[in-house]
Amino acid sequence: MSQTIVPVNRDLQADRKQIAEQLRQQFTQQGTLVINIVSSPGAGKTTLLQATAKHWADRFRMAVLVGDLATDRDAERLRPFVPVEQLTTGGACHLEIPLVKQGLARLPDREWDFLFIENIGNLVCPASHDLGEHLRVVVLSTTEGDDKPGKYPKMFRTSHAMVISKCDLLPYVPFSVDAAVADARVIQPELVSVAVSSLNGDGVAAWCEFLEQTRSRLLQQTETPS
Amino acid sequence: MHEESLIRSLLNQVGELAVRHAALQVTCVEVEIGLLSGVEPLLLESAFERLRSETCCHNSTLQIQQIGLEVCCRDCGVTSMLERLVFQCPHCLSDSIRITKGDQIRLLNVTMQTDDRARTDCGTAATIPQGEDSCLKPSSP
Repeated sequence: MSQTIVPVNRDLQADRKQIAEQLRQQFTQQGTLVINIVSSPGAGKTTLLQATAKHWADRFRMAVLVGDLATDRDAERLRPFVPVEQLTTGGACHLEIPLVKQGLARLPDREWDFLFIENIGNLVCPASHDLGEHLRVVVLSTTEGDDKPGKYPKMFRTSHAMVISKCDLLPYVPFSVDAAVADARVIQPELVSVAVSSLNGDGVAAWCEFLEQTRSRLLQQTETPS
Repeated sequence: MHEESLIRSLLNQVGELAVRHAALQVTCVEVEIGLLSGVEPLLLESAFERLRSETCCHNSTLQIQQIGLEVCCRDCGVTSMLERLVFQCPHCLSDSIRITKGDQIRLLNVTMQTDDRARTDCGTAATIPQGEDSCLKPSSP
């Protein structure tokens, strides 16, 4: 009997990341922009998606995969507006790529302009899981406080955009949009920020415009492969 | 919860290696955790202790090496190690930096006891290909 040391030196999530990359390339080819929406619980992810669907109406085809620990409440809220598929994690605090693939298989159609993946409300664990998205968008609500980006650096560092939600409450809460943006930019200087009120509609057009422009760039990328 | 899912994946990968090397048992698993890996070492350790019992790692220790964040500056080109999560080049203070190491959890080495005869028979010990060095690719975004 002898002792053997086997050198591996490999990212533990390499296989998952490869599957995510394949999924991303597949969606790039078919012109679907995939957006992973992350936030703490109750920040307004579902309400933002309702407002997005209402704003676009029939102009764009969108679908949603919505993660939840135990219920299908968010899916029910979205169902009147868009094709939606529930991903129930059975208590897990984040979505992983196998669950996303299962959900995709259940969605009826695959010809979307935008596919949203609404993650579990949690600013920690979802940051470590690539779901094959083109854009990671973190939603920060005005009731949470403007000091959150620095407290959850990985989430903000790995995000491409930040939506500041519940801006209709700004007159009543001690939250500075400028302070939140400045705190986030220390961590991710390229972060795009949009201030939104999904309830009264302020900023929803700018948010949708940002998504439309990002998708246009994605389409240009497929037309002129580098 | 997040640490548990990582340990499950770790145990699967180590299990495959143990089979490939006809190991009698695994005695040590070494991992490297970066400052921005999103992993808490204490929670990782307790998840390992909880989940290893029914696997080839039931007598194994988990050795965790913590590393800082290695960044490469897009402006001055200098590579530096950051010990705190301040996303700035310590050399020229530019905030245009690319993370080159420290945002992952990596499986480094697996120590196992092997049966010498089985090893001679299969003759493939220590021929595991090195994993691709994906940490050198630019991180997303």
